[in-house]
Amino acid sequence: MQPGMMKRLVPWLFVGPAVLSVIIFLYGPMIASLVLSVLDWNLLSPEIGFAGADHYEAVLARRDFRQAAWNTVLYCVILIPAQIILPLIFALMIHGLRGSRMAVIYRSALFLPTIVAYSVAGVAWSWLLNPVNGLFNEVLSAFGWPRSRWHTDPDLAILAVSMVTFWKSFGLNMLLWLAALATVPQSLIEAARLDGAGRLRMFFDLTLPLISPTAFFIAVTTLFSVLDDIVGVVDVLTGGGPAGSSTNLLYYLWQQGLGYFQFGQASAVAMMMIAAVLLVTWAQFALVERKVHYE
Amino acid sequence: MSRAFTPGRVVLHGLLLVLSALTVFPLLWIVTAAFTPQDLIAAKSMRFWPESPTLANFTEAARRQPIWAWLWNSILTSALITLGKLLLSLPAGYAFARMRFAGRDAAFWIIVATMSFPAVLAIIPTYIGVVKLQMFDTYSAMIVPMIPYVGFYVFYFRQSFLQLPASMFEAARIDGAGVWRQFTQIALPNVMGAIAALSVISFMGAWNIYLWGQLVLDDAGKKTLTTGIALFADLDAAETPWGALMATGLLSILPVLGVFLLAQRYIVEALAPGLGEK
Repeated sequence: MQPGMMKRLVPWLFVGPAVLSVIIFLYGPMIASLVLSVLDWNLLSPEIGFAGADHYEAVLARRDFRQAAWNTVLYCVILIPAQIILPLIFALMIHGLRGSRMAVIYRSALFLPTIVAYSVAGVAWSWLLNPVNGLFNEVLSAFGWPRSRWHTDPDLAILAVSMVTFWKSFGLNMLLWLAALATVPQSLIEAARLDGAGRLRMFFDLTLPLISPTAFFIAVTTLFSVLDDIVGVVDVLTGGGPAGSSTNLLYYLWQQGLGYFQFGQASAVAMMMIAAVLLVTWAQFALVERKVHYE
Repeated sequence: MSRAFTPGRVVLHGLLLVLSALTVFPLLWIVTAAFTPQDLIAAKSMRFWPESPTLANFTEAARRQPIWAWLWNSILTSALITLGKLLLSLPAGYAFARMRFAGRDAAFWIIVATMSFPAVLAIIPTYIGVVKLQMFDTYSAMIVPMIPYVGFYVFYFRQSFLQLPASMFEAARIDGAGVWRQFTQIALPNVMGAIAALSVISFMGAWNIYLWGQLVLDDAGKKTLTTGIALFADLDAAETPWGALMATGLLSILPVLGVFLLAQRYIVEALAPGLGEK
């Protein structure tokens, strides 16, 4: 082989396996979903028909789809800010005590639920939230709050699922915030304080720009991980119920496609979700990443 | 930094103590329930220590379901998924950081754009593929499709390799080290912290895989801990075997807890610089 050829080939030996597997296992299914969404086909029948936009029209007209779509919006409104801001507040609190032995203990304690599997978390919480003698209701009633049926109450199911999902997954973002805060040079903070800057101003004008790469990273990953994270909790805790009240689009897709084998309609849902994911990811990188200060 | 007991620090300690207690409580319940006799569990909403502690829940769980096989299956699948992710993402991250080649930026974005891709979106075509290839109910079906979610790993390892000084590689090249030796003997040993951190994160993620395992692993003996645990709830609709459930839950937590406690410092240290520079 010619040396020039070899030189061009080597990098692809390094990146090729990753590129190929991503194309086959992630982009491939995206394209397959597009194809499935315009076909009339189930796994068993040999006949394949062309459906055009039928599945899209059918699914958009369904009440349970609209409910799942609305729930997805609600989950995003509750969980995205919660998963970004609360871990930051916890991290700032722990960072404020850095150097003390207790800070490590707080960090470990708050991170602990992250290692619990969604299915195990769902099972444990289904007991903790039970209306008869679940710990959660016991504590609330001790403070004079009424007992609730939480995940078995259609009005509260979304809140219950959000709470369990948050409990299970806020630790990773907290750890990321903490790691970023540790990189902010103490001398800068001291200098700003001597200049008489208030705490809030120092945070927004100094700390936040310095940790903006982490902030951007957390924003990108949290946006869709919350959608994905909910699915496991929903399956174990509520099964999407009662009466579809706690389902979201990903769980709906999973149920329609693999519970009822409605490949066409489920793939139509997948395509709409993929379009939304790509659009938002593009927007994040095109509009927001410019404001990120990399060193 | 001041260590004095200022009012602000006392308030912070107080708030964090309450937060930590609230966060850990559900886990404490899993632990106490796992060691409390089944007929006593439902009697009280909270206990801090198991009454008449027993291992009966574990033997009961093992009698109902093959939980020890699940434990092994969890270890096997999580280790292989982690290994697969490292094998894909380390060379790729290295090439993106250290080599110039046509199509590099395009290839990088093709991979990194998948960083926030929800796994459920690919689940139907992947499932059809598994069935058509007659891989249903095999570990390959459980493991292989879960490996290519490497967007974050490639992004992160590229950052790690970028931080290594170029002079390090220059010296090796003068000594006659080829591309492969520079990668394995210079680059890899110097990013061990990053590798350890992402291995733990990957292992924990793979350990927690639920929906996909539920879908492609059918035989009860092939399940993992986190997918198998759902079988307890299905079998006994009349009375939930909380003791056996929580014993299995605890069994699923302990190995990951061990791995995490061992690697905690690594993870925190490795995450900070990895995201900061570009």
